[in-house]
Amino acid sequence: MADIFVAGNKEKPIGKDEKRLDYRIPGIKKVKGRFYSPFSSFCYFPLGVKFVSKDPEEEIVLFLRRHWITNVGWIMVSLILLFAPMVLSGFPILSFLPDSFQFIAVAIWYMIAVAYTLESFLGWFFNVCIITDERVFDVDFINLIYREITDADLDQIQDVTVRLGGAIRTIFNYGDVIIQTAGEVPRIEFTAIPNPDKAAKILRELRVEEEVEKMEGRVR
Amino acid sequence: METIPLINVSVWLIVKIFVLFALGLYIIFAAVVVKQVGLMIKTIEVGFEAPIKFVAWGHLLFAVGIFVLAIIIL
Repeated sequence: MADIFVAGNKEKPIGKDEKRLDYRIPGIKKVKGRFYSPFSSFCYFPLGVKFVSKDPEEEIVLFLRRHWITNVGWIMVSLILLFAPMVLSGFPILSFLPDSFQFIAVAIWYMIAVAYTLESFLGWFFNVCIITDERVFDVDFINLIYREITDADLDQIQDVTVRLGGAIRTIFNYGDVIIQTAGEVPRIEFTAIPNPDKAAKILRELRVEEEVEKMEGRVR
Repeated sequence: METIPLINVSVWLIVKIFVLFALGLYIIFAAVVVKQVGLMIKTIEVGFEAPIKFVAWGHLLFAVGIFVLAIIIL
């Protein structure tokens, strides 16, 4: 008998290198691709990302960072700092100083600009959250002399809250995911991440999977 | 050249000392950046380590360069 409804398989066959493309995140239809840029804010199965204390079998499911729009503030300030000496060169602000001191004053200004830009960039770049198939890992680069690294096993997670509010956050769809754990650190916060609902959903599904693994005795 | 009457020292010499002190502090800051970047790269690798290291070291060398230049020209 002829089939009336045949589901067309339009997907390309998965090559050897793309094997992990087929990895299905529970609750998410399918991972479409593994495009990864070091500046990604939301990335499934990022290539080449490693973190301290990662187990060899452990797989990074989701890599998160603050949404790029949160960088607009410091980028604007950096541009102002960069162009201010050129704009102000028409005004005799430093004219009371000898020429050599004027030169060093401008150099110091640019050093402050570079310091501000570099610290802001590093604060964004190294402030990452990683969800693996075993745990969540949060690196908080608070400032140059203070950083905090927290991790919690998935089975220690008790509650996941998504916080999304305000016009800008709603327009660009980013917000906070707050994780309550039964571990030593009772609260892990992923701040201003893109697609917080998706991240929370993945986390929820991974927890369910972890519980199933536990029941089946497949815990690593 | 303006001098401070009591101690008979040039004002600009005192300003130079303050500037060099500030630049010295800045070199320490730049060295902390290099150290912190190294630690963060050890903590997490995302595939952009070499350019960040380059910028951190370039920043330190820039700070040292300005310090040396300040000693010479001030």
